[in-house]
Amino acid sequence: MSLTATDAPIGDDVDLTEKTVEVAGRSLWQITWGRLRRDRTAMLCVWIMGFFIVLAIFAPLINHLVGVDPYTPDSSAISDNAGQPYGPWAGASRQHPLGVEWGTGRDIFAQLVNGLRISLLIAFAATVAAVAIGTVVGIISGYLGGRTDAFIGRIIDVMLSFPSILLLLALIPVLDDRFSQIGLEGNAARVLAIILVLAVFGWPYLARIVRGQVLSLREREFVESAVAMGSSTTRILFKEILPNLWAPLLVYATNLLPGYIAAEAGLSFFGIGILPPETTFGSMLGNSLSYFLLEPSYLFIPGTVLAILVVAINLLGDSVRDALDPRAGRN
Amino acid sequence: MSTSVSVYVLRRVLSMLLMLLLLSLIVFLLFNVLPGDPARLTCGKACTPEIIEANRHRLGLDMPVIAQYWEFLKGLFVGRTYAANSPDPVQCSAPCLGYSFKRHAEVSQLIKDGLPCTMWLALGSFIIWMVVGIGLGVYTALRRGRWQDKSVLGVALIGYSLPSFFIGILAMFFIVIKWHLLPYPRYVPPTEDLSKFLQTMILPWIVLAILYAAFYIRLTRSQMLETLNEDYIRTARSKGLPDRTVIRKHALRAGLTPIVTSAGLDLAGLLGGAVFIEAIFSLPGIGSLALGSVTDSDLPVIVGVTLVAAVFVIVANLVVDVLYAVIDPRVRPS
Amino acid sequence: MGKTRTRIGLVAVAAAGALLLAACGGSSADPGTSGAPTAGPVAKKGGTIYYLTNADQFQTLDPQVSYTGEDLAFFNSTLFRTLNAYKFSPDAKEGTSVVPDMATDTGTASDGGKTWTWTLKDGLTFQDGSPIACKDVAYGVSRVFADDVIVGGPTYAIQFLDIPSDADGSSAYKGPYKKTGQALFDKAVACSADGKTITFHLKLAVPDFNYTVTLLAFSPVPAALDTGEKYSNAPVSSGPYMVKTYQTGKGGKLLLVRNPKWNQTSDDYRKALPDTWEVDFGLDTKVIDQRIIQSTGADSTAIGLSLEPESLPIVFVSPTEAQPQYTGRALSTLDPYVSYWAFNMVKMPNLKVRQAIAVALDRNALRKNAGGDYAGDFGDGVIKPNMGIDYAPTGLWDTLLGKPIPPTGDPDYAKQLITESGAGPVTFTFDYAQSPTGDKAAALIVSSLARAGITAKPNPIEPGQYYGIVFDPAKSHEMMKAGWGPDWPNASTIIPPLFTMNGGFDLSQYDDKAFNAEVLAASTEPDRAKQATMWQNLNKEAVAKMLVLPTIFGREQRMAGDKVSSIYIWPAYGSWPYAEMGVIS
Repeated sequence: MSLTATDAPIGDDVDLTEKTVEVAGRSLWQITWGRLRRDRTAMLCVWIMGFFIVLAIFAPLINHLVGVDPYTPDSSAISDNAGQPYGPWAGASRQHPLGVEWGTGRDIFAQLVNGLRISLLIAFAATVAAVAIGTVVGIISGYLGGRTDAFIGRIIDVMLSFPSILLLLALIPVLDDRFSQIGLEGNAARVLAIILVLAVFGWPYLARIVRGQVLSLREREFVESAVAMGSSTTRILFKEILPNLWAPLLVYATNLLPGYIAAEAGLSFFGIGILPPETTFGSMLGNSLSYFLLEPSYLFIPGTVLAILVVAINLLGDSVRDALDPRAGRN
Repeated sequence: MSTSVSVYVLRRVLSMLLMLLLLSLIVFLLFNVLPGDPARLTCGKACTPEIIEANRHRLGLDMPVIAQYWEFLKGLFVGRTYAANSPDPVQCSAPCLGYSFKRHAEVSQLIKDGLPCTMWLALGSFIIWMVVGIGLGVYTALRRGRWQDKSVLGVALIGYSLPSFFIGILAMFFIVIKWHLLPYPRYVPPTEDLSKFLQTMILPWIVLAILYAAFYIRLTRSQMLETLNEDYIRTARSKGLPDRTVIRKHALRAGLTPIVTSAGLDLAGLLGGAVFIEAIFSLPGIGSLALGSVTDSDLPVIVGVTLVAAVFVIVANLVVDVLYAVIDPRVRPS
Repeated sequence: MGKTRTRIGLVAVAAAGALLLAACGGSSADPGTSGAPTAGPVAKKGGTIYYLTNADQFQTLDPQVSYTGEDLAFFNSTLFRTLNAYKFSPDAKEGTSVVPDMATDTGTASDGGKTWTWTLKDGLTFQDGSPIACKDVAYGVSRVFADDVIVGGPTYAIQFLDIPSDADGSSAYKGPYKKTGQALFDKAVACSADGKTITFHLKLAVPDFNYTVTLLAFSPVPAALDTGEKYSNAPVSSGPYMVKTYQTGKGGKLLLVRNPKWNQTSDDYRKALPDTWEVDFGLDTKVIDQRIIQSTGADSTAIGLSLEPESLPIVFVSPTEAQPQYTGRALSTLDPYVSYWAFNMVKMPNLKVRQAIAVALDRNALRKNAGGDYAGDFGDGVIKPNMGIDYAPTGLWDTLLGKPIPPTGDPDYAKQLITESGAGPVTFTFDYAQSPTGDKAAALIVSSLARAGITAKPNPIEPGQYYGIVFDPAKSHEMMKAGWGPDWPNASTIIPPLFTMNGGFDLSQYDDKAFNAEVLAASTEPDRAKQATMWQNLNKEAVAKMLVLPTIFGREQRMAGDKVSSIYIWPAYGSWPYAEMGVIS
């Protein structure tokens, strides 16, 4: 199951810290970027991702320019009998470029663009949160060692043995309920609940990787010399160790992101994601099944966009990994 | 030698038990302290304040949380009686994971009922993904950089990227509903009707296997590439040993350990229920039980399934670690 | 009485958001029945009928708890016999008339309707072969009183039987498990010495008590085999079938096989044609529709419940006519239910605001979303035309709101009403049972009310928990979706439950002394024609005060496989006529 990316094949076979230190002159970032620039697939993925991000950020503006919006029903575009859109491809026309929704006549293009915005917001926020938690916990665990390390290690073990999908499904309504008790209602509460739960099940694996990296960094000369010079712990952690961690973090993040996009789709698909009137990939897909035999475009439009987006990010993640560590890659 | 192994095993088992305790506490607290009101959640349709209070008492939710946890633990070992003072007490025999007033059944019984189906699902797809994953992994490693390698990796990437619920739905709607290539899934145990069983299981097996196969292709491939670069393999090859022998006898064997580790854990994870696949193909397994209990807010079942699923993973972890220790003495801590 | 949970134990249907309940079609003929029962090939004994459902389980198999129309019909046809039952017929009048089942006749009333007597037929047995006697029927009824174990069933027995109440309003009899007040019960439900005759003593005259005993709550249970809470999963059958396996959840099934001890000579009510009934749980509704439409293999003897809106254009030419290839096995009829939005009178006390919401709502868009012409007509109250004499148009959309309101709503007039109300900007939250169609309806409500400057916030609730939450005053919001069908063809099973506090389904939390008095007067009115007029007026009053916002007088579409016989909607429950159905070989 790809609900979370915790089973992703990373970390174990990536040991990046060595090169970070050894390369002098050009920074690792420059080298990596240089390699990516030469990788055509990677650049294509960058463009695709960039395109979707721009689409998401400017969704309201784009909808305004096209002359559609995701909320307004259009009774004139659907029949009286069963709310079926007039015309093929869900009644695609100049007015509604990708057709309209069955039963309401809301515009599919507008819903798609709007849904993209929500999906990416959730996925990015959850990724950032998971990476932040994982990094902090991993650094603490690895640097302090001893009992703290053992305790955190146990917590991570427990977290990783949970059936995360089941807990995702079970906890979101529960958190939602909690938020509504403190006055946070509607989609704000729902989106926050989704982000939180996704992040909570995303960090443990990363924490384990970071811990491993920190353990090996701690023994290295530049850290030892910093310790000898009497630098404070905070300074060592953030000035010496953190900058050497960004490579595994980046790889992990590019792995987490598509997993979260898919996860959000799954949640909305099963009706515990976003609330109406908002729609996302998942709710559009869930809806599409009803009309599968009569109007396949409902399934294929959001399905294709979702697939392109997720594949592109995964592919980019692979390329980044290869660029960072050519030895483990496919060249 | 053997004493140190058994000491290690003993220590690991003890730490596992400790972890199970911690885990059960977390699960218990998560669902009993965090959410709004579990008594209300158990009440469902015919809900009035009186029924909520009655249910609270019947489930023992009017006790302090720690007392509830203690009751829960006790129930695991000696069983427990719900609503002991009421005219109609409900017995739950050990190991008691709780009692579902929604389904009028013991949670352990519900899990027992769902386990065979989930087990068949996991086992079948496990075989498919291991064969396909390792086979194609070796194949792509040998064809590295050629078109075969690239196309297999491309397909694997797509299989790995797409959400499994999406693949499942495509399979169900196209293969079953539109093209009638298979009958509608209707689960029967293999002992009852083998051909019906296979017809029902083949799609879920494949759909589930796609995701894992994609992962194992990549894993096997990278393992192979690494070992193929090792000196002793190069030597073997330069000595003119046939590729087949080199791969089977040396390269694959050396790279197998991480694959087996992850396979064990993945299989264990699946035994806790493949929620989406079971739901889409209407399989009466643990995943369906879990999903149903989530939509019904059937708290005792959610807690029970979560725990049992976690136990599978933890035990698998232990087994893998112990096997390592037996095979490879370096792993053992001093 | 004081039992306020009378009719709450019902199932929320996710898609329709409607309540299913024992219901009667009433007397007016429904013009829109397509595919009237065909005289085609006759079914023989044998075969299996597959009942495909989206539900993960039956709410209960316990006869005293069962209270959903479809469930009552199914279990009355297969597992549990009752003293009286509804006649099998597609005709609205005939199909809601009572006939004897376990009894020799439909019951004798005396003492002005305060005493009712039935005599049992010979040769009645449970599935273990033990004979069914008066004490078993009495024991079954007594279980209803154990409201700490038997939760959620109809409580007419508690309301009607002549047993005094305690100070807190609950019955002095506490059920067969506690046995407190057992003597009181044994006096109210008396058995003759030979165990053949059962007599019910009621505390008030109930002229239609012969309808009340059709409920499964009045079916027999052998005391020795009662397992209390767990009886729900393995009830003892008195009918032609018995439970072989019952596994809940997705992929689970209920398998009913023939009861060898059932005796056809004692039962002229049920045909019992198929050898087995298999109920398959947890199927996707779209998958169910597809399977029945295609009707291949085992699916040719499958039946389903309501078709999804999107299946309708495939199956029907128009709301009254099936596609030629499906004629005879696809049905489209008025169902017994009214769907409406209930206003919480406590949280929404301003009449003008409630009216403004009704006025602004784009009912046309909502109806299209529900299936357009297939979904039914615009509703104007809580009593439906197929209730017969109790129905009269209320004029809600023509005059009651001050001027005619078009189906698409009148945002300007709504704004005017809000100004008149003096309430300022209106913001409120509405509850509904989550489903794809429900989500779309919610979006339509948000957008159409926004036209009048009203901010509506949707609150979708997990269908399984829906009524549990909206009946909790602390959790329910200003407006909530609901549906209701009558228990038998008298608005006494509609108006009192919906609009009085101890009626059991008062989502509006309406408790008005004058209104209560009018309801009491109508309930006890002996002249049926006069009573009908009184119900008509109360119905009008309820919408004039905007206690509820009626949306649609629903139609329902159903379909069965092409090898199933007796395909019609049984008006008694708005259900399949299960005991009549068989497999055509």
